[in-house]
Parts: sequence; structure tokens; C-alpha cells
Amino acid sequence: MGRVLLVGDNPFHGISHLSQERSRVRGETPTDPEYAARLIEISILNGANGFMFSVSEKTLSILDLLRKNGGIDDLGLYAIVPYAYEYVRLACRVGGVPGLAKKMIGEVIFSGNIRAMASGLNGVLRMDSNSLAKTYLRYEITRVKRSAGRDARLESVLLHQLVTDLCLGLGLDWFFRFYVDFMVKAGITPGFNTGNFALLVKKLREWNINVEDVVIAAPFNRVGFQMVPSREECEKALADLPIPNVLAISIMAAGYLKPSEAIEYIAQLPNIKGVAVGVSKERHAVETFRMLRQRLSLE
Amino acid sequence: MVSVPHVNSEDRIMLERDEGKLKVGLVGFGKMGMLHAGILNFLPEVKLAAICEKSGLIRKFLKKVFKDVKILDEVDRLSSFDLDAVYVTTPIGSHFPVVKSLYENGVTRNLFVEKTLASNFDEARKLCEFAQEFGGVNMTGYMRRFCVTFMKAKGLLSERVIGKPLSFKAYAYSSDFFGIDGCSKVKTPVVGVLRDLGCHALDLALWFFGDLKVTDVRLKSVLNNSSIDSAYLRAEAASGLVGDFSVSWSVSGYRIPEVGFVIEGSEGCLTVNDDKLELNMKDGSTHRWFRHDLDDRVDFWLGSPEYYREDECFVEAVVHGRSVEPSFEAAAKVDGLIDEVLAGAGQLG
Repeated sequence: MGRVLLVGDNPFHGISHLSQERSRVRGETPTDPEYAARLIEISILNGANGFMFSVSEKTLSILDLLRKNGGIDDLGLYAIVPYAYEYVRLACRVGGVPGLAKKMIGEVIFSGNIRAMASGLNGVLRMDSNSLAKTYLRYEITRVKRSAGRDARLESVLLHQLVTDLCLGLGLDWFFRFYVDFMVKAGITPGFNTGNFALLVKKLREWNINVEDVVIAAPFNRVGFQMVPSREECEKALADLPIPNVLAISIMAAGYLKPSEAIEYIAQLPNIKGVAVGVSKERHAVETFRMLRQRLSLE
Repeated sequence: MVSVPHVNSEDRIMLERDEGKLKVGLVGFGKMGMLHAGILNFLPEVKLAAICEKSGLIRKFLKKVFKDVKILDEVDRLSSFDLDAVYVTTPIGSHFPVVKSLYENGVTRNLFVEKTLASNFDEARKLCEFAQEFGGVNMTGYMRRFCVTFMKAKGLLSERVIGKPLSFKAYAYSSDFFGIDGCSKVKTPVVGVLRDLGCHALDLALWFFGDLKVTDVRLKSVLNNSSIDSAYLRAEAASGLVGDFSVSWSVSGYRIPEVGFVIEGSEGCLTVNDDKLELNMKDGSTHRWFRHDLDDRVDFWLGSPEYYREDECFVEAVVHGRSVEPSFEAAAKVDGLIDEVLAGAGQLG
């Protein structure tokens, strides 16, 4: 079975986890949707078969361009919600969490998605957290499908790292159960983006949530960067999984490692379903995905 | 948790610990409240016991979400929960009345208050007096002191690796309000950019170099008239060290707030920010460290590793009944400097 080779969207948002200075040096080019769509198309030609992205106006514009260019059918889409940065920034501007909640409820109600509007209204009236969460998730799925097209392959919707790890810290087992059930019923693989991979796997098991039903995106790299609590613990948890359902992110430790040394490490790990790698230049797209295809794609 | 009479406070804390977890309360469930709640609940020594939140909407939601955490509307109601510690993560303007109420109602003597300690030096000083009077552990949320790059910088400065510090330039920038014109309906926080963001640079400068005195100030209100949006200030230490600060929340390229320093010393230059640290020595040698190189590991990652280290540090201090930095006293110095800046610009009182 071939592995999933995903184009990551960090450079398209101007994100570098090595340093913000590096993203400032890169300039605005990678954040231009047309340039980003072109990079994804080049990546596809060189072995990429999917796109992992936080759902934002920028990535929706990129999906729109890919659809218009006819390249979207070649991609498996892995959407991350919510785009936490956008919401944190919005919260700063609208008077904190209560202001953000009111604004979000308004946006969802006027989104035009009838089911989202109905469950949203129900959620607000009864302050029912499940109804509110369903409303929000339907709203985000609708946004993706509207841009990518009805026939696009939305493989998974992953909860953003900040939300996954906040719920993990707070021990909200019911929310994980609710999320998995909701996505499975929607015909989409539920996913979790986490910075606490070993803990998440442990907790899912404790809460009797079948880890085979989900995909998990988590950092895996040779230097243990962002691997919590340690590289060894994460590798052990990975090896104990029943099936390959992990999407390795930060494989180059945010540019700290060269692609060749990063891929060498990932290639020897068990249970890796695929990887997500951000690219900011055409040359990077060609070289990185060629190398990934050669080393990881076919077994 | 049961109180044990006729034992000293240190023994009491240890006895209570043996009986169970520390019961911690939290006032204000905004973004910082959520973050600390998530980390605290992970810590094996802690039980998140109660949350006090002013917003009825959020309170209703919290009651549905948390089955075994008490959700309250008023701070004084926390007094019936025998709490070992309380986190105050409300907007800055309410820190003083909330902390005052927590002390006076005997809710707890162990308090963590998000930065800045208060909305002016007078309030900060009174909170220090309360802390002195009531005792216990007190800490303020200047989390960058727990960031590996700044921790390394502090170590290098203490070891006088760059010799005697002669001057520095500091910045605190974010893009939170970048691209917003003066006609926008967007409201910037009334506390202004100095208290919201600049306080981190001021706290680190005080930590690195000791007491400073403001000698020059320029403030700007760009977005609307309700707050200070950018600030420049110069400060001096008794040693003759001179530092320039530049602070703004409307700078391009800072999607995440960033604080940094360029410190010129007699033997070399140290450059540090949230992501990396560089040394350029006069003998021509250079050194560079990223977070990757500085053992930036924690047991639980939420937000940034520094938040975990900060909370772990506070909880350990409460468990062992010992003091911790940055204390209210240290944090009050930041409020004092900000008051000096505002007075210098004629915006105080």
C-alpha cells in the first residue's frame, strides 16, 4: 500500500516553526494563493497525493484554484479545524472569547447550511455543547466542499492541535467520543492533530475509543523536536498501534534537518500512514516529493 | 481536602498532599484561562476544582462541559471550596479587585496572576502588601522567563559571557492589529500595547539587568484614540547600561507575538528572541542555538512549552511551600516602569 504524501500548508500561512524570522525572510510569495496552488501542482507531479491544510480563507482560495485548474481530483484532502490562529487573533479584536463565540454563532447561522443553522439554533437555545460542535463542524465541512467541489476527496477532518490538546488536558473524553461518532457517521475519517501523541494514544485506549477508526497527525523527527514527552515514548506508542494510521508532521524539525536525513528516519518507523511536508519554493517541491516518493511511497 | 490544626504551614501542605491532590480554582475562562486549566488538569498533583467566570454564556457552556468542576459567577463564592491555590486569568483591569477579594475572603493564600499584575503601580504595590500580609506563594505569568532561549540568555549573561553589558535594544511586536486603519470598528485592548505585550520585554529586561529608570518616551495611538498602539522608550540602569525598547501590535510579519533583545557587551553581542539565541564574540567566534538545541521538552504541550514549565514551577512551589519567581514583587516593578513611561508621556492620572 502506498503511503500518503501530503503537501503541508504552513508556508502558505507564513509559518515557520524554526523561527518567525525565517518566514519573514521568505517574504510574501508563498502566501500568495496562486503561487501556493502552483507549488501543490508541482508537488503532485513529483509524487504528492494529498493536501493537509487548516481551513482558512487562504487555503479555501487555494482549493478553489486547484479545482478550477483541474488538479483537485488527484488529491486526498486532510482538513484541520478550527484554524486556531485565526480565531485567537479574531478573539483579540472582538473582545475575547465571549465576543468570538457570538461572532461565530452569527457566521454559522448565516452560512446558508440549513442543517448547521438548525443544530446551531438548538445548541444556542439549550446551550448544548454537542449541537454547537456539530453545527461548527458542518459549517467547516461545507466551506471546504464549497471551495474544493462536491466530488473532492475529503479524506479526513482533523481537530487542530490546540483543541485536541486542550480537550486532552481537560480530560474531555465525551468530546473525543462525540467527534469520532460524528465524523464516522458523516463518512469522513476523524482525525486528531496533536503535540502529545503518546498521551493521546494512551487516553483513546483508556476511553475505549478505537484507534483504528482515526488518523493522528503528530511530530516525528530524528531530533525529537516537539515530540512530547520524548522521542522514545512517541516511538513506543507508534509501534504499539494496530494499524498504520499516523501522519508524521514536522519531519524536518521545522527546517532544522535536511530532507534526506529526515526521510531516512521516517522510513524506518512502523505504522506511518504518510507524511505532511511544507514547501515554499518550486525546487523544494520537486526535490522533496521526489525523494519522499522514492523512499516512502511504495513498499 | 481536610485542614489539619496545630501544625505549621509547611507540614500542613505536605499532609494535605498525602491525602490528595492540590485543589486549584481559576477565575476567568478566556484564552489564558483555558490554557492554564488544560495544563493544570494534566499535572498529577492538581485537581481543577472550580472555575469562576463572569460571562453567563460561557458559564452555561462550562456547566455542560465539566461534570466535576464547580462553575461559579462570583469570586467570593470560591471561599467554600477549601482551595489550595487560585489562578487569576481575567482581563488586567480586574486583577486588583479579584485578587483583593481572594485574599480578604480567605479563598487561598497561593495565587497565580496572569501578567500584568495590575493596571497601575499603585494597585500592584497594594497587592504586594496583601501578599506580604497573608503569606503563601505568589507568582505572575511572565511566561517568557520559562522559554528556553531566554533562560539560556539569562545564564550566559549571569556568566558574563559577553562581558559587561553596555547597551541593548529590545522589541515586542505582533501583527494582531496590523492592516487595520483608524476608521475600523475593531477595538484594541484598553490597557494598551505596553501592558498587553510590551510588559514581557520590560520584565525580561528587569530580570536580565536589574532595576531600570525610564529616561525618554514616545507613545503613539494609531488605530483609534482609546489605547496606545506603539511605544518607544529608553531606560537606564545604575551601572550606566542604556536600553531602547520598541513595542507595537501592528507590525507586519509577527503572526505570533515575538519579543527579542540585542545586547552589546564589552566582549561580544548576544541576540535572543522566542525562537533562537546567537552569540557574536569580539574574538570572531559565533554560536547559535534554536529551541531544538536547548532541551525544550515538557511532559505536556499546550500552547508553548513555557506555559507548562511556568505552571509546573508554581504548583511545585505551592506543594513545597516555597517562594517562586516572578513573584508579585518582581511583577510590580514592570507596572512601575509602565507608570514611569505613561507619566513621561503625560498620560498618567
